[in-house]
Amino acid sequence: MSDVADAPEAARPITSRRDPRYEVVMYRHVGVDGAWKLDYYRSHGGYEAATKALTQMSPSQVIDEVKASKLRGRGGAGFPTGLKWSFMPPVDGRQRLLVVNADESEPGSFKDRYIMEDDPHQLIEGMIIGCYAIQATKAMIYIRGEYVKGYQRLVGAVREAREAGILGKNVLGTEVEVDITVHRGAGAYICGEETALMNSLEGLRGNPRLKPPFPAQAGVYGLPTTINNVTTMTSVVHIITRGAHWFSSMGTEDSKGTKLYQISGPVERPGVYELPMGASFRELIYDLAGGPKGGEAKGFFPGGSSTPPLPWTDEYLDMAMDYGSLAKAGSMLGTGGVIVIPKEKDIVDAMYNVVRFYAHESCGKCTPCREGISTWLPKMYQKLLAGLGTREDLDLMEEMVRNSRGTAFCPLADACAMPVQASFKWFRDEYEFIVDNGRPMYTKNDWWEA
Amino acid sequence: MKVTVNDVSMDFPQGTSVIDAIFAAGYDVPYFCSQEYMSPIGACRMCLARIGAPRKDREGNWILDEESGEPKIFYFPNMMATCTTQVMEGMVVDTLSEDVKNIQGGMVEFTLINHPLDCPVCDKGGACELQDRAYEYGTGLSRFDFDKRHQEKHHPLSELITLDRERCIHCKRCVRYFEEVPGDSVLDFIERGGHTYIGTLDDGLPSNFTGNITDICPVGALLDTTSRFRGRNWEYQHTRSTGMDDASGSAIMIDGRTGRIERIKAALHPDVNKTWIDDGTRFGHEYVNAEDRVRSPLIRRDGALTPVTWEEAAAFIRDRLSGLSGKDIGIALRADATLEEGIAARALADALGTGQLDHAPRPAASVIPQQSPATLTDLATADAIFVVGDVTEEVPIADLRIKDALKGVTPPAMMQHGVPIADLRLKEHPVLQREKLTVAAPYRVDLMKHAGRAMQYPAGGEAALFQALQAVAEADDAEGGLRLDEAQRAGLGSSVEDATALVQRLRAADNAVLVYGGFVLASREAAAAAAGFAKAVGAKVMIIGPMANSYGLELAGVGPSHARYAYPDMLEGARALILSNLDPAQDPDVRTQLEQKDFLVVHDLFITETAQLADVVLPAKSVFEKDGTTVNLEGRFLGVHAAPIEGGESEDFVGLVGALGEALGQRLEGRSVRSARRVLRKRFEIDPAELGPTGQLYRPKGRTTAKVTIRSSEAVDGNVLVTPSMLRIEYLHRNPHLNALSGGPRLRMGPADAALNNVADGDAVRLRVGGVVRRATVCVDDKVPPGLMLLPTLPEQPIGLARADLSTLVRDERELEVAG
Amino acid sequence: MVELDTIPAYFADKQEVLDEILGRYPEYGRRSAVMPLLWEVQNAERYVSEARIAEIAEILGMHPTEVKGVMSFYSEYHGEPVGKYHLQVCSTLSCSLAGSDQLYDYLVEKLGIVNGETDAEGRFSIQRVECLGSCGTGPVLQVNDVYYERVSRTRCDQLIEALKHGDMPDAWRERGGDNESAEKADFLMSAASGRASTGEGEG
Repeated sequence: MSDVADAPEAARPITSRRDPRYEVVMYRHVGVDGAWKLDYYRSHGGYEAATKALTQMSPSQVIDEVKASKLRGRGGAGFPTGLKWSFMPPVDGRQRLLVVNADESEPGSFKDRYIMEDDPHQLIEGMIIGCYAIQATKAMIYIRGEYVKGYQRLVGAVREAREAGILGKNVLGTEVEVDITVHRGAGAYICGEETALMNSLEGLRGNPRLKPPFPAQAGVYGLPTTINNVTTMTSVVHIITRGAHWFSSMGTEDSKGTKLYQISGPVERPGVYELPMGASFRELIYDLAGGPKGGEAKGFFPGGSSTPPLPWTDEYLDMAMDYGSLAKAGSMLGTGGVIVIPKEKDIVDAMYNVVRFYAHESCGKCTPCREGISTWLPKMYQKLLAGLGTREDLDLMEEMVRNSRGTAFCPLADACAMPVQASFKWFRDEYEFIVDNGRPMYTKNDWWEA
Repeated sequence: MKVTVNDVSMDFPQGTSVIDAIFAAGYDVPYFCSQEYMSPIGACRMCLARIGAPRKDREGNWILDEESGEPKIFYFPNMMATCTTQVMEGMVVDTLSEDVKNIQGGMVEFTLINHPLDCPVCDKGGACELQDRAYEYGTGLSRFDFDKRHQEKHHPLSELITLDRERCIHCKRCVRYFEEVPGDSVLDFIERGGHTYIGTLDDGLPSNFTGNITDICPVGALLDTTSRFRGRNWEYQHTRSTGMDDASGSAIMIDGRTGRIERIKAALHPDVNKTWIDDGTRFGHEYVNAEDRVRSPLIRRDGALTPVTWEEAAAFIRDRLSGLSGKDIGIALRADATLEEGIAARALADALGTGQLDHAPRPAASVIPQQSPATLTDLATADAIFVVGDVTEEVPIADLRIKDALKGVTPPAMMQHGVPIADLRLKEHPVLQREKLTVAAPYRVDLMKHAGRAMQYPAGGEAALFQALQAVAEADDAEGGLRLDEAQRAGLGSSVEDATALVQRLRAADNAVLVYGGFVLASREAAAAAAGFAKAVGAKVMIIGPMANSYGLELAGVGPSHARYAYPDMLEGARALILSNLDPAQDPDVRTQLEQKDFLVVHDLFITETAQLADVVLPAKSVFEKDGTTVNLEGRFLGVHAAPIEGGESEDFVGLVGALGEALGQRLEGRSVRSARRVLRKRFEIDPAELGPTGQLYRPKGRTTAKVTIRSSEAVDGNVLVTPSMLRIEYLHRNPHLNALSGGPRLRMGPADAALNNVADGDAVRLRVGGVVRRATVCVDDKVPPGLMLLPTLPEQPIGLARADLSTLVRDERELEVAG
Repeated sequence: MVELDTIPAYFADKQEVLDEILGRYPEYGRRSAVMPLLWEVQNAERYVSEARIAEIAEILGMHPTEVKGVMSFYSEYHGEPVGKYHLQVCSTLSCSLAGSDQLYDYLVEKLGIVNGETDAEGRFSIQRVECLGSCGTGPVLQVNDVYYERVSRTRCDQLIEALKHGDMPDAWRERGGDNESAEKADFLMSAASGRASTGEGEG
């Protein structure tokens, strides 16, 4: 068996945008004026994948194809999509639902928004294929309330699709029935958690639910439900078009396909970049985004504020942006939304901002999150930043986040606690400085451009 | 499934929660959000424990530990909330290790950081779950040295309940209670995160069952306003008894201090009321402490009532009665008298040679089902229920048991520690199986909104209703309804399709229950039709008697020897009367009659209108001060226990008979509770002294023959419908909190009738209904059928249609408060 | 309790709108309509009053308390009127690193209102919100429904001036990274990799 390194060029997995075999597929139309219209989409190969799936494949074949592609959910959890689809129970006469999680509220994440604004039909096409695969006739998009433009574009696209017979009782002229309802959220990060999303969709307060039962057993309205992220759906379009093999030819052992990465914080060219999985942070941050402004950064969140930050070292910059590598590094890929922490931003200040986010977004259901994350932890940061902290306070904070990890009802507490723990691990010197000196180590406090 | 908790291994059925396994094994974990009869939600995170279980491989064999050869225990990566985790075969639970203790201490610390240090002024102190858990599981000194969250304190949610938002620990019991138990979601969390607080937009919390949240709130956030600042929990003497407010037989806990009753709480009775009581039972105790209670026997001398001893009073009565023969003397008790009081009254009547003995109010028909009696458990597990009347007012607990049936969850099996703490079959936001329930009433009642079918029939039309339904049942096919004639259809108050569906549903059910009360009992014809219909469709029957011991007093035969001696007819013929807790002088014509009696003895708590005419007034014990036995609407014998309340020289009717017996020189049965119980034991083969907390269902082998003469009933062409009421109208003005909440008795009428009678919403009025002068506040409600007015019942004004002379409807200038 | 009779019901003359919203959900999921109904009212009236809460509750067969419980859970529903221009300043990390904290302080000073307040004329209100999902183009300011991205000092003054004149500009939608049109993406690729781009099928 020949070594992978000796394998012919064509057989090696694609893990870099520099690889000539790679092409941007999901964001092809983003940024193009008028790309959200049905005419445009159709004239660029739109709905051909759905037609292929509905006329040439059976639902289980679609699931198999997606399984073979090894697509993992793009919402942050990275659960294998084909496997999730196969959890739906056998058809038993009850209504089945596909729900698209377009609540994108993770700080550092902004990839879904451009799809919904500029290329809503791509999402709709993915949903048609998904509904067909899980044999659901109804789908709902839960879009965060702030994305008004995205909501309007989606509603318009759904209307166009209905009028053109792409949605409704005979999708694309087949016997398949699919229709889509777009449901606006109203400003709650926790509603991006799938069980809280279901409660919110049902018109309840957005508290997470117990699992089991899982959504496939009892989801929205107690019906069999599958919940997927926006770009999981759009990935499916291209998997059907070009095949599972094409998709799995990109990426690493445990992370396949093309993915939308984001980068924000002070870099030259922040934004969304589509890359094959396995590309390195360095490629994203330096090659594509032009590197940190002013040249110096000290750390970065690899995949949104819920992922433990990492220091700015070659070890981590050269790491592949995939699920396994980040897990091994004690962090997570999450949504792939990199946030660069410039050298001049005091880490205590930066982490206070992050903690305050979770404090605002805590749903209040369970004790450790409501009292710990949402009340006590931000106050401890305020104490440090006011110059009144002590070394004992640092120990107390570490104990507090330890008590919040794994004890809360849902992972929101972990999403706050783990980054805080990592900040202590990699930047403890800044915490010690602020308590020992009564002022932060880095004092730049004006980031606003003229 | 075998589960090992620390060092104890036990077997549990599938579906048991781990927290129940822990408690059954004799260990414990702290918890706040779980409550025995509500959904487990895993919110407070206090009950966390380290849990592991063995796993099977692909072939179905246990994966073995290499060293021990035993199934390997795979521990869950995180601590698990035991209230929301099911037991698994071979599960191992650790609640004692350092890790678990540390987390428990951490959770206590988190729970306390925003909790105000109110213990010295908080009514919950000493009975507070947070205090107890903090003491048992906490780490001691808090390390939180910031300002705590500030919220509104002592916010009146209603006249009855005070909310302190700062004390709330967000267990969500109150919110879930309202949604899951009475099904009225009148409380909810407002905002989110650390800012969350409890609030409402439903002013005054419109529900008959709000008080239960003060029992289940683990801290002093939700408090009973009637007992606010009345005592510290460790000062109260707790007496478990049976509520005598209605026929439910709900278990209550009477909290008394320094001889006063300060608070009523619910007590546990898994088969009757679970842990719930209605607001009338809970908050309607203030009258017992009223300033103007009669505290000693009184004899009228020179026109004025003068205090005397019991001996003097008894001798006086004996003397005045000695000249009279039996047929001149009448004795009547209120229908919430105990069985022992009933036995005593019978003994007295026999001794005096009179057959004019009765209890009141007593409807025209028997309150004892003649076949297939239903228990509350039958009701709670029924798959088809037909209610005629307003059960939410008449016997509120039945409303909650009906909702149990609509949730489709059977009562839990008892465990070693009692009722399971976390019943995993219960879910948040339950969807009620409304199709199981049909409600029929002469006006729109609350329960209709939870029913699959509502039938509003014309007032007084109960007989017609059942006769029409009987016709449908007898036709025995889908066409049945179509054979009804015009008059029968009109009697249904609903479509023929509905009636047919109802009949089919009752027939097809495994466990169908028919519930009816005062409206049906007002007419013998209606009651007979109802019983016949129940038989035709194979339904069990639950009959709601007007008061707490209606069933028992009828069963014990406390009734007249002849129909014409029934109450209130006896008031006309008798020359001497002994009346216990009855106030017929509210009817001016009766008042005139009474003024002409030779001798009138009134046994009561207060100087009522009737007592004002009496020759002798004897101080009565309230229902909280008696030892006795009552029988609820299931036919369950239940113990009534006296709380240590300072009632002066008051006695119940047993005491009265004891004193009178002494004066007569006779050893009467029923001269004491003990001797009365000998009679009961012999007659019913139940020992009232050994009833225990759950009581005993009386189910004789033969048929229960009603020994009580059924009163005559004439159809009344009425314009006022006297309706059931959760609140005891006779005491309402002496229960200031309930009075303020309800605004006093309401005379409800439609807008057209208000205009016709020249009254407006909110007017205080007087009206003579069926002879009795009633005071009420007008309430204009367009849901009341035109030409009808609704008025709540009094003992002297039984449920059913009555005739009111509307020319007597006048504005009442006086305040509706008690005078004197 | 609010007297529904004295205030004309919002949906009294909007049956079609109501039907369309209710029609989006199955009958057993009727309660789902609570959020779109709240939006409908808020979009028209700038807040949702207790009377409207009661009306929505009545329509859906819910208690007013439940509607309030849902409404108050979210950051975007308001129980008090907001200004004609409701300024929502994103405050989370990426925008903070682009100066959103300074932007907020500037607005507070310039307009004389703080988080949660409306000015006396009812023209401006301000709210600090969390991540708006445009992290590459911070600082982001959402005015009513519109995103204004990369609101630098200069552009902030421009925007406020325009709003003061009652003129709400179109969204300032920045492009960045792969959000650029094909032409610009071309430049990126070649700059990054040093290879000539084909100019086809990318962007």
